[in-house]
Parts: sequence; structure tokens; C-alpha cells
Amino acid sequence: MRLSDRDKAMLDGAEGPANREAMAALVQLGEAFDAEDMVDIGYAHVHAGMAMYLGDVELMEDLASRGAKMAVPSSTNIANADMAEWQATRAPESLVRLQRRAETAHGAMGTGGCFTCTPYWAGHWPTWNTHMASIESGVTVFCNSVLGARSNRDGSFAVYAGMTGRYPRFGLHLDENRQPTHEVVVEAAPDGTTDFTALGYAIGAEVTNAVPLIKGLTRRPNLDELDALGVGMATSGGVAMFILPGVTPPYTASDADNDADLPSIRMGESDLRAVYDDFCSGEETGFDIVHLGCPHASFEEMKHYAALLEGRTVRDGVELWITTNRTVRQMARDSGLLKPIQASGAKVISDTCPISCHFARTTSPDPKLGVEPPTLRTIVVDSAKQARYIRDMIHCPTLLTSTENAVETAVTGRFIPRW
Amino acid sequence: MSEDTKFEGRGIVNGTVTGPALVSRTPFSFLGDVDIRTGDVIGELSDLKGRNIAGQVLIVPATRGSAGAWRFLHQLKQHGTHPLAIITGELPDPSVVQGAILSGIPIVSGLADRIGNQVTDGAMLRVDGDKGLVALE
Repeated sequence: MRLSDRDKAMLDGAEGPANREAMAALVQLGEAFDAEDMVDIGYAHVHAGMAMYLGDVELMEDLASRGAKMAVPSSTNIANADMAEWQATRAPESLVRLQRRAETAHGAMGTGGCFTCTPYWAGHWPTWNTHMASIESGVTVFCNSVLGARSNRDGSFAVYAGMTGRYPRFGLHLDENRQPTHEVVVEAAPDGTTDFTALGYAIGAEVTNAVPLIKGLTRRPNLDELDALGVGMATSGGVAMFILPGVTPPYTASDADNDADLPSIRMGESDLRAVYDDFCSGEETGFDIVHLGCPHASFEEMKHYAALLEGRTVRDGVELWITTNRTVRQMARDSGLLKPIQASGAKVISDTCPISCHFARTTSPDPKLGVEPPTLRTIVVDSAKQARYIRDMIHCPTLLTSTENAVETAVTGRFIPRW
Repeated sequence: MSEDTKFEGRGIVNGTVTGPALVSRTPFSFLGDVDIRTGDVIGELSDLKGRNIAGQVLIVPATRGSAGAWRFLHQLKQHGTHPLAIITGELPDPSVVQGAILSGIPIVSGLADRIGNQVTDGAMLRVDGDKGLVALE
């Protein structure tokens, strides 16, 4: 692998012990995937350090204590507790205290601490051809497919990329891998973010690791729907990029016609319905929580929730959780959107979500924290991603429906299905 | 078929260890197939269900995709329930490679079939991730 003078100097420790470790790890990664050299990155979405995982916050503290600093604009991924208003979720305070240590470590490293799976709604908006690294697969697919930035599905190494400003040139950093491998003809008329998570989920399950070319949508999805589409694919498959001609840079609308030789699949309404059916496993009257905001809600979605909840009251015995990032929550507060939401009894939670908080049963936090996941009967959700991971990580049934019907469900106490 | 005792694959993650073989014929997901507290395989799709990967040289044809795999490898290491080394057929996902580098778990790829056909569970293997070599002890 060809290294720059600065890469070599970092390997020799010229930028301190943390960057030496980071560069050595990035070189090993590059050699594993036959990278010819490293690229300069312009953005990194990095690991938060998660309090629900043993020794995980310490990973970030260790880097910070050895002098690590972010070399490029960066943001932090979702965490395991709302660090400001944690009482609403009944998280143990011990967990919150540990989670805040990650916030301190990132502060020392100069990471943009938004603690979210949607850093773009907090203002991190990498542009066309920006090489980047991302720990969150939903961020990867949005940045590749909607913004035209270049990202692989990374793990913890996104933080090394952020510290060094470098990343090995392989995968979706190369033009040759940013070409369609499959054609998907959509014959359904998805509307709203839930439908788009379901469509994405159905596509990802079908194509697994691929770059699908999406055709047949009758209108340009809005930004929230584009986000939902990619997140769905990244959840059921290994999709890191889709191509929607006219949306995905640099593909123009006419590129939809140049795909004669690709394997082709069709997605009809029955495929969407099947995803809803799969994630409607819970009792229709026995739910504890209704959840909105997976991935973390945008400001536009907060406006939508506020309009839906204006003058309404969440039914006794039901909790309505709205999860977003701290930046959007602050904007919503300043814009007067939190008032009607909170007046309804709904909770607006940042930094975490049901699957990322102390509900998870597949994690193994330090026993000293005293984390006991609550017993939940059913969670109503408006996202196929949240549904999938509630099943896998909380081991709790779900009911999947549209955002509007989920709000009605929370208000009436009776589940209202999408179809 | 000759009885090989040395296998040359492709070194993916550095490090050298010796440990007992645990052979699987099904793709493995570090997110979901294994209980991090114990190292017990719990995934229905794995032919290792009911076995334990802690301290083993895990031989799998492929890793199944998940961007979260790195974290589970790191958690296995934190709990002392990690495999000593991993031998794959296909090149593993970037997330698995990142988790293995972070956790100091050597990986050699391109060998799962050849070794799986040659050794049985418990055979002692020396894995050299730097050179991509695996040797029957």
C-alpha cells in the first residue's frame, strides 16, 4: 500500500500515540481490502462510546487521554441514554453518568457531539465526492445515495479516520463500485416514511449486498422518505448505496434507461404489506409504548408530530416516545413545537431510542451499573428498522403502522394498522 | 487427498496464536449468533448452535453482513469469550476486520474449505495472521 509522507510520519508516532495506533489500524484495514493508497476524508461520523457495552465508553476515553483530536468535521453516533432528560426514560442514573463520560471524551477530542443516527438533521451534510467514514450504516447509505459523498459501512474505525483525516481507498470510495448491480422496479405507491422503510427493508432482504437502481417511483420522495428508504435497505441487507436516477449524484433521470443487463426484481404493494405483517406480532390492545423517530426525527418530522398531537392527549397507560437528536430537539423547543407535543403527554427523547437504551437484552453492561431491562409487552413503531431491532435486541413483539396511525393508536389506546 | 499440515491463505489481521479448531459450514454473524457473556452460539442459522467459540480457532466459510459486527467482537474480547483466531473462506466484512484489529484477533482468509475438510474439532492449529499461514500442530 502506498502511503503519503504524513501517513508514514503518523506510523512513526510524529502525531502522538493515538494517531500512531489509528494509522497502523487503517493500514491493516487497507491491506486486507487491497487498497492502493489512502484518501483524504472530509467528514467522519464516529462511535459515541456506549454505556450499555462493557468497556466501550473507555475506548473513547482511552483515545482522548492519549491526545486524540478530530482532524476533520465529525459527529457522534447514537448513545445509550438521554444525557440531559434521562428521567423520562427511567434509565438508571449510573448508566447516564457513564454515558456522560463519553460526552466529555468527545468534547476533549473536538467531535461534534450530536449523539444521533441522523447527524445530517443536526447540520452534518457532506457534499458530492466528499470521502468520509461512518459507523452508522443508515448514515452511510444516506450520504452515498442522497448526498453523493463516498462512504463504506464502517465500524469503530470511523474514529481513526476522523483523527487522522485518512481512510484506505476501497469499496465505495472507488468509482467502479458506485455502479448499479441490480434493477428494482417499484410497482407500489409508497407514501410516508414508514412505507419507505418497508420498501427499503423488502429491497435489502432481496438484494443483500448490492447497489440497487431504483425505478418506478411515481414522485420524488422527500428527504425524510429518502432517509427511510436507505435505512430500510441497510437494516435487512448489506446495502451501503442505492441509485435513484435524478436524486443520487451524478445520476440524471435519463440514467434510469441504461440498465438492460442488470438482474431485475419487482416490488409491489404485497411486498410492502409483507413487511408490515412480519412486524405485527404483538397484541393489538396490549402495548406499553408507541415510538416515533427511527431514525432520529428531522425538524420536518417534529412539525408533523406537533400538528398530529395538537389538542390531543396520549391515553392513560400508554407512553408515546418521540426520539430525535439534541440539535433538532433544541430547534423544536425554540420554534414552539415541543409545547403541543409535550402537552399531549408525549415524551421527546434525544441521544438514544428504544433499541439503543437500557431496554436492550443482548448487551452486557458492567453489572455494577445495575441495569435491569424492563419487561415490555409490545412496542408500536413506525419504522421497519426499529421493529427489526426491537425483535432482535429487546426480544419484544412489535406492531408496525404509519406515523399518523401510530399517533392515533397512542391517543385512542387501540392499534390502528396501516392497511 | 494428501494430508496437509500447513496451509497458506491470506493474512487479514495480524497476530499469532495456537488453539483448538472449531469447524462450521454455515456463514457466521457476530451480531446475533453468539451470546457475548458466554461465547455460546445461539443463532438458529449456524450449525454451531449449542457450541462455544471462546478460546477456539473459529473456522467459517463467510461472515454474514452487519455493520455492528465489530462491536460484538470487541464485547467478546471484553468478556473473555472471544475466539482466539478466525479462519474464513471469503474475505470477511470490513466491520469484522475492524473489530478483529481492535480486539487483537488474527484472521486468515481463503482457507475455510481446505482446513475444514482436513481437520476435526479440537485439532490444535497455529494461526499466523501476519503471514497468512495456518499449521496443524
